[in-house]
Amino acid sequence: MRDLLGTMVVGLGFGFALSRIGFSSWDEVHRMFTFADLRLLLTFVVGVVGLGVGWQLVQRTVSEPLKWPDRAIHPGTLTGGALFGAGWAITGACPSIALVQLGEGQLMAMWTLVGIFVGNYVYSLAHERYFRWDLGSCIDD
Amino acid sequence: MYWEFWIGGAALMAVAMGHWLLVGRLMAVSGRFTALVNSLRFDTEPEPEMSQEQLLEAMRAATREQFGDASIDDDAEDAQDAEDQPAPSPVVAGSRKQPQSTLTHALFLACLVVGGMLAAVSNGGVQPAYVLHSSVFPQVFGSDPLTSAVVLLAGGVLIGFGTRMSAGCTSGHGLCGVSRFQPGSLAATAAFFGAGIVVSLLLGGML
Repeated sequence: MRDLLGTMVVGLGFGFALSRIGFSSWDEVHRMFTFADLRLLLTFVVGVVGLGVGWQLVQRTVSEPLKWPDRAIHPGTLTGGALFGAGWAITGACPSIALVQLGEGQLMAMWTLVGIFVGNYVYSLAHERYFRWDLGSCIDD
Repeated sequence: MYWEFWIGGAALMAVAMGHWLLVGRLMAVSGRFTALVNSLRFDTEPEPEMSQEQLLEAMRAATREQFGDASIDDDAEDAQDAEDQPAPSPVVAGSRKQPQSTLTHALFLACLVVGGMLAAVSNGGVQPAYVLHSSVFPQVFGSDPLTSAVVLLAGGVLIGFGTRMSAGCTSGHGLCGVSRFQPGSLAATAAFFGAGIVVSLLLGGML
């Protein structure tokens, strides 16, 4: 139950924040990638730096070492990342964003969402058939 | 209008840390998509896993069948078991490191939709329409709804394929991985930002 409630609170907060930040705007994302406006990029940098400090503080306050998943480089890291980046630039969406856009009333984003599910499924087939490398523990944190 | 970068950055940090505190694991949204897809793929009930004891019992039965009762000294083995293995603690059994249920994954994704809706409602209201809020997208791809849908579908396939291939997206790799200096996350983030920049510059050149 606590798991469910926590998941809901974080999901709502994340969706709200992404919308307010402007990550759900195709034009804002385009301005980020073309360096026409650095606000989104700076937002991301502040978030990452803040988290870096935050995790350090957590490590120091928690007595036992935290067991967080390692994210090692594997043969799909760079290619997969690049394909995702291309999709992000075309659709203006990363996986969360397609959902936020739908909530905002941008119903055209339903095709992005459908595409994400299809692409995810197709990769799982391609992986079993052709790639088969070890994806590590990252898939399901 | 939109949040200043430091407010937005603080919000992303709060959400990612809140995810760890409240959900008990690091945020990774594409992982939730993967879990959902897997649950749709493996729709048949997974075979119930044998517990350690059931497995031992089955092995003993098989040994008996093969070599007769005398071959197993049950008592000695049980005594050793009791010594070596304390009863599984309920804390471990109910550990929050167990994978979340399909329903929970779906709930999180649904909450992203509602979160976006709340943001829009509190900022002038929601008028759902079969559009993408953008002035540049139609300039690049035209304003024909069918073309737009095909473009978004194709781009979405790239997102789904790519995030599963690199085992993470902007949340898992970009936020939670880079902030922990994970090599895979640094590489993936460099790759998706790099590709995003190149493709966006190309699209901008099509104007």
